[in-house]
This record gives sequence, structure tokens and C-alpha cells, in this order.
Amino acid sequence: MKKVLVVDDSLSVARQLEKIIAESGDFTCVGHAKDGAEAIKMNHTENPDIICMDMNMPGMDGLTALRSLVVLDKDVKVVMVTSLGGVGDKFTEALKLGAKNVISKPFESETVLQILRQL
Amino acid sequence: MAVKFFGQYLVENNLVSREVLLKAIELQDQKNLKLGEMALSMGYLTDKDIERAHNAQMSKDMKLGDLLVDMGILTLAQLDDVITRQKNTHLYIGEALVQVGAITTDQLLQHLKAFKADQAQYASEKIELPITIANSSIWEMTADLTYKMVTRVLDLQFRPGKCEVITAPCTGYVMAAMDFSGDVEARYIISVSAPLQKEVAKAILREKNVDTEPVEVLDDTVMEFVNIICGNVAAKASQLGTIMEINPPVTIKPTDAGLAVPDGHTGLSFPIHIGDGETMELILFIKN
Repeated sequence: MKKVLVVDDSLSVARQLEKIIAESGDFTCVGHAKDGAEAIKMNHTENPDIICMDMNMPGMDGLTALRSLVVLDKDVKVVMVTSLGGVGDKFTEALKLGAKNVISKPFESETVLQILRQL
Repeated sequence: MAVKFFGQYLVENNLVSREVLLKAIELQDQKNLKLGEMALSMGYLTDKDIERAHNAQMSKDMKLGDLLVDMGILTLAQLDDVITRQKNTHLYIGEALVQVGAITTDQLLQHLKAFKADQAQYASEKIELPITIANSSIWEMTADLTYKMVTRVLDLQFRPGKCEVITAPCTGYVMAAMDFSGDVEARYIISVSAPLQKEVAKAILREKNVDTEPVEVLDDTVMEFVNIICGNVAAKASQLGTIMEINPPVTIKPTDAGLAVPDGHTGLSFPIHIGDGETMELILFIKN
């Protein structure tokens, strides 16, 4: 079963994603980081296969964390989860920095799982 | 289910790969000249002129085109020429994907048709504002998209009330706010009653009962609702050529005195009547 780390300052989004991941049968959630800095630490301690990370967070934001994560861990697979996915420049920047995909909010469970299963 | 741009739609639906999309974006970056580059290629200015303008931009908050005119490097007619040439020669992402061999022209047309159908639910409808205000189309779109998200995210039936200019402090049980910056500056606020906060929480958490949820989680769900709306507003605005940056949302618990419109701002209220006498309110504090 693939391990997923959820990174979002919002408790409710983390709850939604954890529920989708837990009910999938294919993935297990190994933790919830509340900002980019915590995500970098937890990537080291939890060694997830996939990171689902918000773009717009207080403290270290998602794109800054993504930049560090891809340097520190060449095998890391990051999917950005954001309400800003429809802003072309933000979407492009995330892909250029190394994100594997971008999930727009509001999202449906099937879309999230379909994207995670592609990785 | 969200406002998207075409490239994102294609990758999300596995119609093109991330790698191929990046290749097409790289081609766009090569072909779509920036304003300074285009003016240079048209012989209207020199490298040194661009350097001077970029240096001046550090102390003046102006777009490059306006600054080039302000500095007397370009005439207004030349600036119009450059912008027109940029528009006429712009390589769109769909065309770029055809050029890199990722899809055929027929596939492009099919995907565009499906994309338009997917995004039709977010086509803007006209909303009447009570006053003449700068960037009114952006604020109309913001209100319209808010209404659409009440239906799509919260699954609530509602009736929009008449938009009014705010003349007294705003009251409400709990408010969640997000600040817009960039081409326009404003504070976006959703104000809800206690029963409506629970409706928002049920929808966001996808739970039938939220009675035992802590206040912290209930407040967070209203912030997340605001985050979803504002991100989609920013996406729609970018399609209209307006840059709107968003910041993380915050919760506001208004005092008995209410929340006053900040100095130098215009306040607009959009009541959203829901079900049996409950009213959610969209409040915009727009910087004058």
C-alpha cells in the first residue's frame, strides 16, 4: 500500500483527503503536516511515496516547499492540491518545479484517486 | 468541478502527460515574446531602453508598457502596435500541443469542445452593482462565482438579495476573510449564522452530522469555503487578464459593535437568502 503525506494548514481539507485516502484501499495516510517546513521534516521521517500539498499556506508555502523537496529527495512525488489550480501561471510553475500533477479545489474523491493512481 | 485552464484540464483527464504539456509550455515560452522583446523585434526600442525601464520599475509601480510610454521611449500608438502584434502572434497551449506532436488538430477541437462544456457551469452571469466602481466586472464575477459555489460546494438552494453599499458596521456569527492583492485590492468576507456554519461544515467535511465537531474545525470549514471561492475567482480573473493574488484565509468573530468598512474602502454587501429565513452574506471591502 502506498504511503501518502497530507500537507495543508486547513484541518478540514486534511480531514477530507485523509478520508479519501483511507477509504481507497490502495493508499494509507502517514501523517498531516501543517506547512511546508513541517512537510520537509515529515518527508524525512515518514518517507511517504506521495505528498499531497496545498499551495497557499502561512509560513513556508507549498511552492517553496516543493522547490526544496525535489532537491532533497529526487524520488519524491508531489501532487499540489489548490484552489489556485485554474490560474495558468501557478499551475505551470508547479509543474516546472517538479509537481507530478495539480488537483483543483473543489475536488471529487474519484479525481484525487485517479491522479494518485497514475503515479 | 473547478475553474480550470485548458492545459490543466488535459493533464487532469490524462489526455496529455505532464511531460508533454511542459514541452508545449516550453515552446510557448520561446514563441510568445514578452512586451519588451516584441517591441525590440519591431525596432521600436533598444536593449538599453529595456534595461532603463526595468531599472525604473524598481521605484515605480507601473506595468512595463505604461512605463515605456511614460519615459518617452514608446508612443501610445507604438505600444498599441506591440500589444496587437503580441495578441495576433500568440501561440495558445492547444496549438503548441499540436506543434509538439502531442495531439492532432481534430483531437484539439474535440478536447476544446469537451473543455468548454466542462467550464460552462462557470460562465459569468450579469450582476447589478448599486454604484459605479473601478473593475466592476471583476466584482460582479466574484459575486456570481460565490453564488455558483453555494450551489456546487454547499448544495444549498438560495435566492440572491439586492447588492447594497454598506453604510453601517457588518454583523454576523462568524466571518471568514481572504485578502486579494495584485491588479485589484480588496477583502473578501463570507458571514454566516451558527446554523449556516454547520451546513458549510457538513458540505466541506462531507459528514452528515457535525454536532460534536470542535469550534476550531467548524471555523476552519468556513475559511476553506472562502479559500475555494477566492482561488476560483483568481483563476477566472486571470482568464480575463486581471492578476489577483490570494493570501491564507482568516476567521473574524465580530464584536457587538460589528465590523466597520476600513477607511479608503467601499463596502458592498450581497445577501444570500438560504432555506428557512437564514441569510449568508458576501461582503467586499474594495480599496478605492
